[in-house]
Amino acid sequence: MSKPSDLVQGTLDMLLLKILALEPMNGFAVSQRLKQVSGDVLQVSDGSLYPSLHKLEQEGWITAEWRTSEYGRRAKYYSLTRLGRRQLEKEADNWGRLSSAISRVIKLKEA
Amino acid sequence: MRPEHWLFTISLRLRSLFRWAQADQDLDDELRDHLERRTEEYFAKGMTQQEARRRARLDLGGVEKVKEECRDARRVNWIQDLILDLRYGLRMLAKSRAFTVVAILTLALGIGANTAIFSCINAWIIKPLPYPRSDRLMVFATHDKKNGWTGEHVTSPADFFDFQRQNTSFEQIVAWAGAGLNLTGDGHPELVDGGRVTWNFFDALGAKPILGRTFIPDDDRSGAPHVCILGEGLWQGRYAGNPKIIGRNITVGGEAYTVIGVMPGTFQFPLMGIANLWTPLALTDKQRADRSGSWLPAFGRLKPGVTQEQAEAEAGVFFSGLEKQFSQTNANLTWLVNSMTWDIRRKEGGPELMIVFVIVGLILLIACANVANLMLARATSRTREFAVRGALGATEGRLAGQLLTESLLLFFLGGVAGTLFGFWLMRLIESWIPGRIRGYMINYGHVDLDFVTLAFTLGIALVCGLVFGLAPAFQNARLDVNQTLKEASGQASGGQRGARLRRIFVASEIALAVVVLISATLVVKSFIISIRTSPGYNPENVMTAQLVMPRTKYINDSQKRNFGEEVLARLRALPGVASAGAASNVPFGGFGQGVEVEAVRRPSQPGERTGAGFAAASPDYFSTMQIGLVKGRFFNSADSQGSSPVVIITQSFAREFWPNEDPIGRQIRFGEQHTVATIVGVVRDIMRDHLRERGGWLMFVPLAQFPSSTLAFVVRSSADPTMMATAIRDAIWSVDNDQPISSAPLETLIAVVDAGYRVMTKLMAFFGALAMFLGTIGIYGVMAHLVSQRIHEIGIRMALGASPVQVLRMVIGSGLKLAVVGVAVGIVVALAATRSLTTLLYQVAPNDPLTFTAVPILFVAVAVAACYLPACRAMGVDPIVALRYE
Repeated sequence: MSKPSDLVQGTLDMLLLKILALEPMNGFAVSQRLKQVSGDVLQVSDGSLYPSLHKLEQEGWITAEWRTSEYGRRAKYYSLTRLGRRQLEKEADNWGRLSSAISRVIKLKEA
Repeated sequence: MRPEHWLFTISLRLRSLFRWAQADQDLDDELRDHLERRTEEYFAKGMTQQEARRRARLDLGGVEKVKEECRDARRVNWIQDLILDLRYGLRMLAKSRAFTVVAILTLALGIGANTAIFSCINAWIIKPLPYPRSDRLMVFATHDKKNGWTGEHVTSPADFFDFQRQNTSFEQIVAWAGAGLNLTGDGHPELVDGGRVTWNFFDALGAKPILGRTFIPDDDRSGAPHVCILGEGLWQGRYAGNPKIIGRNITVGGEAYTVIGVMPGTFQFPLMGIANLWTPLALTDKQRADRSGSWLPAFGRLKPGVTQEQAEAEAGVFFSGLEKQFSQTNANLTWLVNSMTWDIRRKEGGPELMIVFVIVGLILLIACANVANLMLARATSRTREFAVRGALGATEGRLAGQLLTESLLLFFLGGVAGTLFGFWLMRLIESWIPGRIRGYMINYGHVDLDFVTLAFTLGIALVCGLVFGLAPAFQNARLDVNQTLKEASGQASGGQRGARLRRIFVASEIALAVVVLISATLVVKSFIISIRTSPGYNPENVMTAQLVMPRTKYINDSQKRNFGEEVLARLRALPGVASAGAASNVPFGGFGQGVEVEAVRRPSQPGERTGAGFAAASPDYFSTMQIGLVKGRFFNSADSQGSSPVVIITQSFAREFWPNEDPIGRQIRFGEQHTVATIVGVVRDIMRDHLRERGGWLMFVPLAQFPSSTLAFVVRSSADPTMMATAIRDAIWSVDNDQPISSAPLETLIAVVDAGYRVMTKLMAFFGALAMFLGTIGIYGVMAHLVSQRIHEIGIRMALGASPVQVLRMVIGSGLKLAVVGVAVGIVVALAATRSLTTLLYQVAPNDPLTFTAVPILFVAVAVAACYLPACRAMGVDPIVALRYE
């Protein structure tokens, strides 16, 4: 099984929440957006995207509904819930603290 | 997870659970949609349609794998797993039918026994008495502080009415007296069990009539118009449920009584026994002022907020006042206040029932050990199946879960079957209780499969399924896949661990069975000794006919005397009658009388007054009952109306009053009239009210000198006494055709009083046999399985020259070893455990050597027999066939 590590998993959740915070979209669009914003740095396979979306849905952070897309076909659209927004704030906060701590450590000058 | 979060997501979980087909469909659609778009994207980039589709699938990874991961995200997978496991389990159970049937039947026996006993405990001990706020009901007992004597339930009328007037603790104080009431007119004369009660009897118990009204204070005055209340049974039976019965006159004890009400059949008052007819107590002023004898049973209902201790304290103060005021009658006397619930429960054999409960608990353990063994045996033959499933990626937890589910399923089915068996057993136990006793049992007929009992049954089934399913589950889940799959023969030995566990199970179940069987044997032996012990007379072939002469018809002594002598003459003339006698009461007849007695001495010694059982008897009574004479003589026709009073006393009575002297010719003073009588004979001790309790002090006076309005005729016949019942009844009715009679063989009267003990004995015998049966099945099952596992090995041994006898010895030897270990442990445990049986034992020591030798020998013998069949199979093994399995 190719489960992403805990760090990546947590980060992926945050990224997905952030993407969905901008606007509701379906799974395929999320995948495209991920590629688009992170370039090749974050390799998120389509295979690990859907289980993550489903997990977020079960947590109640995002909600899904079936809509007819712009091309006239039915697709499952995910959007952020209030709980999800709170979770995103929390995780972004944590991420900020963690990344600044790490960069402070990295930038220490060698004696 | 935060609670509100949980609240929010639970609906999502439920949705995924109950609409999982829908959710799965959605998932399909979503992924297909994704694949289509991705394919379009690659197609647009210039790939061929086929190539684009392949790339899209590659990007996604395995579609099924992604789906599974998404399902996992829903977190209700375990329920779907459970459903799958249950289906699979059912299929497996259906496939191995023999295993399933044996296991379910074994569990049904073990669980059903518990269901039955628990339903009895529930009805008789756990459920409250069937009266509103029954915890407020208290019974009284008169207690002599000096000599420790306690008269349960009884008070003297004057004490009772004084306390009723003056106390502040009780809402109501009620007196009652059980009585056999003669019902005549409207068909056959009938002796009806009934009671005379103070007017507030029904009110205090919170009982409402189904017709008419209950008593009011005016009914309860001496000389008030006679009224009575019928029980539903009597009303339906004798009066065909006629709703116009209210206001009608019926003849009770020769006097007209107006029916004012009908009580429902569900109303019962165990302290009085069965009652179908109630009249007001209506004591005369003289009776109300009587303080000399404690004979009036009483109970009360506490006021709200008053405790039992406060009530008893008030009674204590009140009675110390009476002690000063009436030193003649009330010296040292006080009242005890006890909870009615406690009082009734105590009589229903609570402690004994608990012993049986422990016994059935042990039987359940035996049954569970049996089934666990079967499951272990089956698990070992399924090792390959599990190894393969493990190799295909099933986790240990998943495999253990599967086995545990199967075990729970099996125990659940066993619980269902056990409920049926328990229901049958429950009805059987109830049917063992004789009709006359039922009235004394609270909630009789309410022993039922109610919610509590069902929950209990299901609970023990599932707990046992969990506990006893764990061993096979973990044994199999921790398989070494490679090792198992490498064993080419397919007859995996199942590992030493499993075999050891099975041996431990069997040895412990044998130990438990030995404990149960030893306990049962001790109780049954006590019972056999007790029915073989002479009660001081010979009840065999004796028919009794008891009656109460109506006061209105038999007014003076000569009328009573004439009636008795006339009936006796006719009874003697009946064909098949060896002898006939009469007495004012017979042992176990329910009319037991007592008097206060003192020895006549100069100077008299203080503190010599004592209570003794009393009966007036005809001369032939002693020979008919075959009562043993120790000294002096029986009565004869010379002891008549005109001659000086004489008395016959029992051995232990004589020993108490005249320890080192000859009692013949001494005198005693007894009764309210302070009659003085000369002792003419001493007889062997007589068991009058209890079996297994000798030493009732009894005195007999001649019926001719002390005529009685209660009479019990005893007739000894050469044949079955029940054949005489009609002839005896006709003989009595030929003297007075309006006289109700209650007749029964003396042995039946004894059996009724002894019913509780007999029920206990039957239960112990039944469960002892059950334990033995289950233990035997257990050892047989293990030996049979062991042999089938070792067929290969036995084949090699035989090919190498082992003789069939050696094989037989080997198989039986290994079975014997288990049995001996189990029996030895059983003996040690039983030695400690049987001490708690002492209340049930009679002239049998808890460590009775005979029982402790016989039961183990029996068990070892049965174990050898149980090994014999598998051993024969082992002997019959053809080495060629056995080795060909290779």
